[in-house]
Amino acid sequence: MHAICLDTVSVDFDGRFQLSDINWVIEPGQHWLVTGTNGSGKSALVAALAGVGERVSGTWSGVPERVALVSYERQAELIEAERRKDDADILDVISEGTPVGEIIDAVCQDRDLANELVDTLGLRPLIDRAFRKLSTGETRKVMLIRALTSQPDLLVLDEPFDGLDRDSLAWLQDYLRVLATTVPMVIVLNRFDEIPEFITHVAYVEDGRLPHRVERSDEPAMADLYQLLHLKTSDLEVPQADPADRLPALNPSDPLVRISDATIRYDENTVFEHLDWTIETNQHWQLSGPNGSGKTGLLSLITGDHPQCYVNDIFVFGFQRGTGESIWQIKQYIGYVSIALQWEYRVGTGLRNVIISGFFDSIGLYSKSTDMQKAIADEWLALLGMSERADEPFSGLSFGDRRLVLIARAMVKHPPLLILDEPCLGLDDMNRQLVLALIERICASNETAVLYVNHRSQDAIRGIDNHLTLSSEAAS
Amino acid sequence: MANYFNTLPLREQLAELGKCRFMHLDEFTEGVDALKGKKIVVIGCGAQGLNQGLNLRDSGLDVTYTLRAEAIEQQRQSWKNATSNGFTVGTYQELLPTADVVLNLTPDKQHTSVVNTIMPLMKHGACLSYSHGFNIVEEGMQIRDDITVIMVAPKCPGSEVRAEYVRGFGVPTLIAVHEDNDPNGEGLALAKAYAVGTGGHKAGVLMSSFVAEVKSDLMGEQTILCGMLQTGSLLCFDKMIEEGIDAGYASKLIQYGWETTTEALKYGGVTNMMDRLSNPAKIRAFDLAEQMKDIMRPLYWKHQDDIMTGTFSAGMMEDWANDDAKLLGWRADTAETAFEKTPAGDVEISEQEYFDNGILMVAMVKAGVELAFETMTAAGIIADSAYYESLHETPLIANTVARKKLYEMNATISDTAEYGCYLYNHACVPLLGEFMKGISTDVIGKSLDLSDTGVDNARLIEVNAAIRSHPVEAIGGVLRGYMADMKQII
Repeated sequence: MHAICLDTVSVDFDGRFQLSDINWVIEPGQHWLVTGTNGSGKSALVAALAGVGERVSGTWSGVPERVALVSYERQAELIEAERRKDDADILDVISEGTPVGEIIDAVCQDRDLANELVDTLGLRPLIDRAFRKLSTGETRKVMLIRALTSQPDLLVLDEPFDGLDRDSLAWLQDYLRVLATTVPMVIVLNRFDEIPEFITHVAYVEDGRLPHRVERSDEPAMADLYQLLHLKTSDLEVPQADPADRLPALNPSDPLVRISDATIRYDENTVFEHLDWTIETNQHWQLSGPNGSGKTGLLSLITGDHPQCYVNDIFVFGFQRGTGESIWQIKQYIGYVSIALQWEYRVGTGLRNVIISGFFDSIGLYSKSTDMQKAIADEWLALLGMSERADEPFSGLSFGDRRLVLIARAMVKHPPLLILDEPCLGLDDMNRQLVLALIERICASNETAVLYVNHRSQDAIRGIDNHLTLSSEAAS
Repeated sequence: MANYFNTLPLREQLAELGKCRFMHLDEFTEGVDALKGKKIVVIGCGAQGLNQGLNLRDSGLDVTYTLRAEAIEQQRQSWKNATSNGFTVGTYQELLPTADVVLNLTPDKQHTSVVNTIMPLMKHGACLSYSHGFNIVEEGMQIRDDITVIMVAPKCPGSEVRAEYVRGFGVPTLIAVHEDNDPNGEGLALAKAYAVGTGGHKAGVLMSSFVAEVKSDLMGEQTILCGMLQTGSLLCFDKMIEEGIDAGYASKLIQYGWETTTEALKYGGVTNMMDRLSNPAKIRAFDLAEQMKDIMRPLYWKHQDDIMTGTFSAGMMEDWANDDAKLLGWRADTAETAFEKTPAGDVEISEQEYFDNGILMVAMVKAGVELAFETMTAAGIIADSAYYESLHETPLIANTVARKKLYEMNATISDTAEYGCYLYNHACVPLLGEFMKGISTDVIGKSLDLSDTGVDNARLIEVNAAIRSHPVEAIGGVLRGYMADMKQII
């Protein structure tokens, strides 16, 4: 293998983003970590190695033919492609989508390895399931298998550890350590506590440029870089609720949520059964469990997004489900953030309107907003450091910035229940800390019950003292 | 059964055809109250049935599904669709006798047999809802006097009906009450509540009649919406090949050209679509459209006449009785056309190039939209209806061509629309034969070869005035204004 040399390279991404004057040499035997804040262009930089974007100036050499890329953008593209297939099928039938096995086979160069990885990562029972029906963590695993079995000359991993449960994470870290002896890697990570041993160099991206390239053994330089990423916003003031926006009052003696003997089942596959759970007013909960244990399914029984909420015994916000209430009467009490919502939120509207849509529980804004609602949305934008971008299209934001805006959208009405389904997934260290600090603040305010889903003990939040853990063996 | 429309005296025919009104959001303040606590039973669980049912249930209504006994026993897909979403499923005998409102969401072709089976089982004073009026208007189905008959027709595929509801919005929806079957005068209240339950009121509701819906829907889909796009695709492709244009380029220009050019139509009518052309190209497109309108006018008249007299539906029902022999044969023929079999080439075509190199296609859309609109309004259909069934829906159908060419278009539209589309195409291709001989690549495949793009002022003023003063532009301006008020602020 030759060195990969980028000499004052500029790359354009559909006019939406530009990498400028990148100088970067990756010598044989080196493994790079790429880091930077949300929106800095680190994902763009590694995607460029995989051929994404249009090179407008500069020269590069030595970039190998076969580059495998795992990223949320790729994952979203594949899910979007599957969704389009479904949309295209507007006959009067329900489309099933491409099965996992076919998705893997499409790029696989090593069938034995693929089989081994499918078993190791526990995807065997899902091999005939439609790809787009998988949970976020499960699709992530499929993307990894595709990359690892494509016999790449360069492996590019954008946040490979995010969204994996503990066992899968440990396995992947081991696997990469062995693979590093034969395949060069470029890895994007937002967390310094997870840098694999084999990483030899760190690149720091800012505003589409690559100002810092640091050798890992250079400890003072590494410390500076760490500091840079830990820049914290000083005061965090959560904007007030809209005084004109009054929810019908809840009976204080009722719990917010009471689920009794609940089951979620698809055909013969039982996700969980006999599940009981009560959430009292102002009680904060952490929900955890491995990929596919039904965390998101359980949450959607509460939000009303799961059709089986009508065949379970569920009491939410004063309503026994299935007795003539509408889902909008339920949703008005809930703020909700998840990566799935982020994928669903495909709207060309501006940031201010996205935040205002939280008052109406809609994706996109279909109602006239009041001056007060606009003012509150602007306060949230100021908190997020995005005041100047209020009218920029939401779809043009970086992945992490979109998450921050959606958290503001969820909190804008100060709901009695805030559901955060892996809110830190895909965020960099600085924004992760900002989000966690924001959630701690909300927990402490005691007017919103927080229901927090995450895999990582590092992301624990002070003030959340109730825990529910779903096991992979269905019944709990 | 006799054609219902033909049994009406002329003044009632005209009154029914003239019904179509855009309803305002403040007419829906009662929400779903009229359906609250009533037992709604859906017949059929395909994409429309399932997704409408999901929406109605999420709006707080009591929804169950009824399927034929075999479908339940064999646990067919429709049974799985309903049960896996937590719905109760029962046989006709089990559910219909207690149903307050029955939603018939089966295909047109099955309506007579389905309705004849369910009617004796329905309780006194119940309501029967259709999503298309063909069975009532063309087949003359007589519904028991005590039953209220309404129509609620979301103007989108079932998957969209659900997706838009979940986002907090809805899809444009047409509602109607069959006046002969409104014994308690509650038909309109029920139809409005149903539209609210599916989210349609947020995106815009048109209050129409069974007659106006059927006669305008048939006319639009046969002529401009599907027929003209099919004929235009085939003629333009063959011409480009004959003139030596690269086949992949020709295929792509047509497959995506309809969608791109009619997007301009959606935003600003025929005027805006024509304004996307250069001045000389606009004048050229105008002249071509005028020529085609003269040639095709008798064909549009014939389609409208056959629809009004019932000749069209009688012919199609004959084909139903003959196991769809004609329809299936024509469908197979379409799959064998050169355009259909040539994949779109891997070439870049910019948005503007679709206009510049597709002047003839723009002219065909203009000619088809205006002729369909003129013919419908001359036949007594109110301008609002005629607008929706011509100009408004053209971009929606053009999207289906962009997805997978004519096959996709014909698979997406109803069998009724598909049958009419082929009838139109068979007549229109030879009709335009002589005209097409005079066409060369300057208006299709390449752009006008001009060293000077100047035009005569007087001629340009005359052409612009003619485009802008067409009646479809006047009503279009008003209706697009209403829609923009309701649409998302994005």
